[in-house]
Amino acid sequence: MKAYIALIKKEARENWRTYKTPLLVAVFILFGVISPLFAKLMPEILKQLATTGVKITLPPPTALDSWAQFFKNMRQMGLLVLVILFSGTVATEFTRGTLINLLTKGLPRRTVILAKFTMTTVLWTSAYALSVAITTAYTAYYWTMPTYHHLILTFSGPWLFGLLLISLLILGGICFTTTIGSLLTCGGAVILMTLINIVPTWQASNPLTLITQNLALLTGKLAVGDFWPAALVAVGAIVISLGSSIIIFDRRAI
Amino acid sequence: MKIGIDYLPFLIPLIILQVGLTAAALIHILRHKTYKHGNRLLWVIASFINIIGPVLYFVFGKEDD
Repeated sequence: MKAYIALIKKEARENWRTYKTPLLVAVFILFGVISPLFAKLMPEILKQLATTGVKITLPPPTALDSWAQFFKNMRQMGLLVLVILFSGTVATEFTRGTLINLLTKGLPRRTVILAKFTMTTVLWTSAYALSVAITTAYTAYYWTMPTYHHLILTFSGPWLFGLLLISLLILGGICFTTTIGSLLTCGGAVILMTLINIVPTWQASNPLTLITQNLALLTGKLAVGDFWPAALVAVGAIVISLGSSIIIFDRRAI
Repeated sequence: MKIGIDYLPFLIPLIILQVGLTAAALIHILRHKTYKHGNRLLWVIASFINIIGPVLYFVFGKEDD
C-alpha cells in the first residue's frame, strides 16, 4: 500500500511536469466551451454555406443540439487527445529504464500497473467532469434544459470508454514497450469495434455504443436495458486487459 | 459573420485557451534546439493546428529533461 501511494505521487508529479495534466485540463475546458458555441453557431454557419439560393430553414438550436455537439467532440477529439497524451505512459518507463531500480528493490510489478491506471483514471475523470460541468453551465445559461432521461448513465458512457482506452494503452505499452505499440493497440481495438458494429445483432454489446448512443439514451429513445450490455462488456474488457497486463509484465524482462 | 455581444461569454475563454496553448507550445519550441522527433519548422507549423497541434508537440516533440 505504501509503495502504491508513493507511485501514485510519482505519477502525479510526472504528469504535471511533463505538462500532461495542464494540457488535458486546458483541452477539456476548451471542449466544454466549444460544444455549446457550435450548437449556437450552427444555423449561422449553414446560412453562410447556402449562398447559391438554396434556402435552409432550421429550427433554432436547442439544449439537445448543445449536447449532441458535446458527445460528438468527445467521440472525435476528446478521446483522441486522451489517447495521445497518455500513449507513452508505460513505454517511457521502458525506454528510460526508470523502473529497474524500484523493481529490483522489491516493488511488486502489479503495483506499477495499478498506480498508472489509477492516476490516469483520476486525471481523465476530473477533466471529463470539468468538461461536462462547463457545457452544462453554458447550456443552462443559453437554453432551457428539458428533463432528461438517465443522465448519469448517459454521461458515464464516454467516461467508461475512456477507461477502456486507458487500459488498452497500458496493455499495448506492456506488450510492445513502445509508444507506437500503445497507440496501435488502442487504434486496432477501435477499428475492431467499428467492424463488429456492422453486425446488427452484436451492436448492443459493443462498447462503441457507449459513445454513439448517448443522445438516444438522453431523449429516452433507447432504454437503459439496451445500454447495459455494452457497459458490462467494456468493464469486462478493462478487467481483462489490466489483468493480462499484470501477467505479461510479471514475465517480461526489463 | 456578425458576432454579437451574445457570443462574448464563449469567445473570451475560447481565445484565452487557444492562444495560450499555441503560445505555450511556440515558446517551448523556440527555447529548445533539439526535439525528440521532427525539427523546429515542423513544430512551429504544427503548433498552429487547432488544439491537437500543441498536444502533439508536448507529447512527441518535446525532449524529456
